[in-house]
Amino acid sequence: MVFEYYIFDIEGDETMAVPFHRVKIAEGVSFTAVQDSKFKHNRLSVSMILPLEEGKLAERAIVPYILRQGTRKYPDVTKINERLSDLYGASLEASVEKFGAYQLLNIGMVGIDSRFAFEGEDMVRELASQLADILLDPYLENGAFSVKETELEKEYLKDTIEAEINDKRSYAIMRCKSAMCDGEKLALSKLGTIEEVEAITPQSAYKAYLELLDTAQIEFILCGSGDPETACEEFRSRFSGVERHPVAVDLEICRKLPTVKEKDITETMAGVTQGKLVLAFRSETTDDPAEQAAARMAIVMLGGTGTSLLHVNVREKLSLCYYCMARMDSVTGIMLIDSGVEAENCDKTKAACLEQLQKLQNNDFEDKLLSETKLFMKTAFSATSDSLGALETWYLTKILCDSMETPMDTLAYCQAVTREEVVAAAQKLKLDTVYRLIPEKEAE
Amino acid sequence: MNKEIIRSEKLREEYVKIQHPSGLTMLLCPMEGFSTSYAMFTTKYGSVDSCFKTNLEPDYFEIPAGTAHYLEHKMFEQEDGDAFGRFAQIGASPNAFTTFDKTAYLFACSDGFKESLEILLDFVSTPYFTPETVAKEQGIIGQEIGMYDDSAESRVFFNLLSALYVNHPVRLDIAGSVESIAEITDKTLYRVYNTFYHLSNMVLTIACNFSVEDVLEVADKVLKKGVDIEIIRKTPEEPKHIAKAYVEQNMPVATPLFCIGFKGSDAGNRKNFENMILDEMIIDLVCGEMTPLYRSLYEDGLINNGLNGEVMASRDYICTIIEGESRDPKEVQRRLLSEIEKLQGSGFDNELFERCKKATYGRYIGLYSKPETVASVLVSTYFAEMTLYELLDLVAGVSKEQLEARLRENLQADCCALSVVSAQPMEV
Repeated sequence: MVFEYYIFDIEGDETMAVPFHRVKIAEGVSFTAVQDSKFKHNRLSVSMILPLEEGKLAERAIVPYILRQGTRKYPDVTKINERLSDLYGASLEASVEKFGAYQLLNIGMVGIDSRFAFEGEDMVRELASQLADILLDPYLENGAFSVKETELEKEYLKDTIEAEINDKRSYAIMRCKSAMCDGEKLALSKLGTIEEVEAITPQSAYKAYLELLDTAQIEFILCGSGDPETACEEFRSRFSGVERHPVAVDLEICRKLPTVKEKDITETMAGVTQGKLVLAFRSETTDDPAEQAAARMAIVMLGGTGTSLLHVNVREKLSLCYYCMARMDSVTGIMLIDSGVEAENCDKTKAACLEQLQKLQNNDFEDKLLSETKLFMKTAFSATSDSLGALETWYLTKILCDSMETPMDTLAYCQAVTREEVVAAAQKLKLDTVYRLIPEKEAE
Repeated sequence: MNKEIIRSEKLREEYVKIQHPSGLTMLLCPMEGFSTSYAMFTTKYGSVDSCFKTNLEPDYFEIPAGTAHYLEHKMFEQEDGDAFGRFAQIGASPNAFTTFDKTAYLFACSDGFKESLEILLDFVSTPYFTPETVAKEQGIIGQEIGMYDDSAESRVFFNLLSALYVNHPVRLDIAGSVESIAEITDKTLYRVYNTFYHLSNMVLTIACNFSVEDVLEVADKVLKKGVDIEIIRKTPEEPKHIAKAYVEQNMPVATPLFCIGFKGSDAGNRKNFENMILDEMIIDLVCGEMTPLYRSLYEDGLINNGLNGEVMASRDYICTIIEGESRDPKEVQRRLLSEIEKLQGSGFDNELFERCKKATYGRYIGLYSKPETVASVLVSTYFAEMTLYELLDLVAGVSKEQLEARLRENLQADCCALSVVSAQPMEV
């Protein structure tokens, strides 16, 4: 069954219409296409989604990285990269993400459209068949992944886990979230632990791969100017006759809001000059798009633009920091404010941030903050329809939330948000964990 | 008003180049179907322009490191508020950035293009600096510098440039240091502004949904022609040799990060840009993912996250940089140098060259795909004295012999430096 949606901008501006369709091609396997002739490229990806499961995270996480290194037809890193060059320098990326309490394994390709190919090759067909090969026809040795590939990718995975410390901003956020969600599934690392990685064998990774093919929800997404039918047919034929036992994605399991338990954590690190402050809040999550829009608006008004409360007051007026931003994960309801500050200014910055949040909660803000944020949202959501990567992320997120909302639908909800709804959304935010990363010399 | 249409037969696209009576050059590229418009107002002034005068001034003026970036921050502040607030009233999303050789102010918008453009041209044409407003920024930029100081990626890169260059200001961080920015005053900013923000030294690029008439109407209203000046930059003499072959910094990271750099010879503005395209292809042919060198590094576990190559070229400098993460950066450098030496003798494999050319062509198509990229590439090509589409023609026309000749003259072992950031000291 093919669902077809034609979406128009709220004002009926046809330049912003982005037709997309979504179709089931096998049990737990779907294909979604967003087609727009303005693009010169096609972006094709496959995502495999399973609940975060302690003990299995690493052996699943390694799978896309091993698959990326070769197929039966192009069995090593040189051969597969030669193939990508023949596809006019198509890119091939593997990644692992966390979506609520789910692990999301992704392999994506981007290549030019047929109209720029020298000999008019059908580039969508080429990309689709290559992606299908990468997913379904890997290079194997003795009925398992190659020993060498597995060892190399194990090292890579270990290095990636250890490299979390390299970027101090994301490190501070990660530490804050894991402290906050200690004991919950949400605290699990998307890549697993070093010990789990070390235990991986070519056989165990291959077994995890087969389990993914059998049980994961699989989403193919094509965004670009090419013909979706070609890609859809390729994937459909490759999955025909395959019997699967997919585990449905049920976001309810990551929406249960634990009670807020205020924690105050300070960690020290040698060799850094700047302190990092992360304030983590919890809020309820909801399926109601109007309430979601109110929460989204509240966060952007608080710290999402150059005229937001945090930017104007904490950065510009108090000159405390270069960045001070608020962001929210709508799936988990976790909201973070983060900033890079002098260690001695951490408490002052925390107080200033909370003061700004209180303004929202106490209905103490100017009308123009709301009206201007609505205008800003129009620009932000329009930009989504101009970017292949943003479109893919948008629709994958929506699919997982079992929603068919387009960027323009969400924009319409944002435009309708009232002052009272912003206040109500802000009042739901409860401070949970305060995390500080302090240079070691300051701590002494 | 001088108006010229520049067209690409390959892409079946075109843009307009307009010489506005105010002295400003405008490059306007409509892109059908996109919802967001990008406009970028850029001055040919970056962190490397640290000593200069105009033909009307007797003496050169030397400014502290980080002035260009500091000025960029302060431009947004106006006597009656700040430009962010004005853009917010329309819903446009403004931004700005400073590089070694340019400073750009930009906005993205879906509605209100004409109003947004007026704000952009107006705020960049209206400096407002006082001792108080300049001092206030020290805290914010100080924290920005602190953030870069703690970034391993940023440190390994800037440390490499300080190893490659002896005198050229490209060896200094774009944002300067907490000490150097403390010397910046409102007077410094005005002097710089009056020199480099002259419309003849700037370019306006716009990509996406807009009408050329609207752009001209706003420009006629806001832009005023200034007194003609000639900008004279003084760059210290840069020797051919590098400052030092190895530089290391220790900070909390997992696997050591490295940058291997080759200092190239300055061949002039446009030629440097052309060489940049050749050098990018050479990186692919020497250590790209299809090469035997890449395979050996990968299979021996010497690189864990791939290798990234980039070429940095501008008016009077060019260098090739290869970066990655490795337990043994020196061994990566040793193998790289040995492969280069081998290829300088043997030349490139034919099949590999053809593949690389096809892949580069595909990648360059990407530069013409997004409004924000188009607005930005219009600037770099204009400053390099070429058109937007000449880039693609250059790639399509490259020969194997051309790349081999360039390889022999450029990637020299004695012009190679290695920068490492590691948790523990690597060199005893």
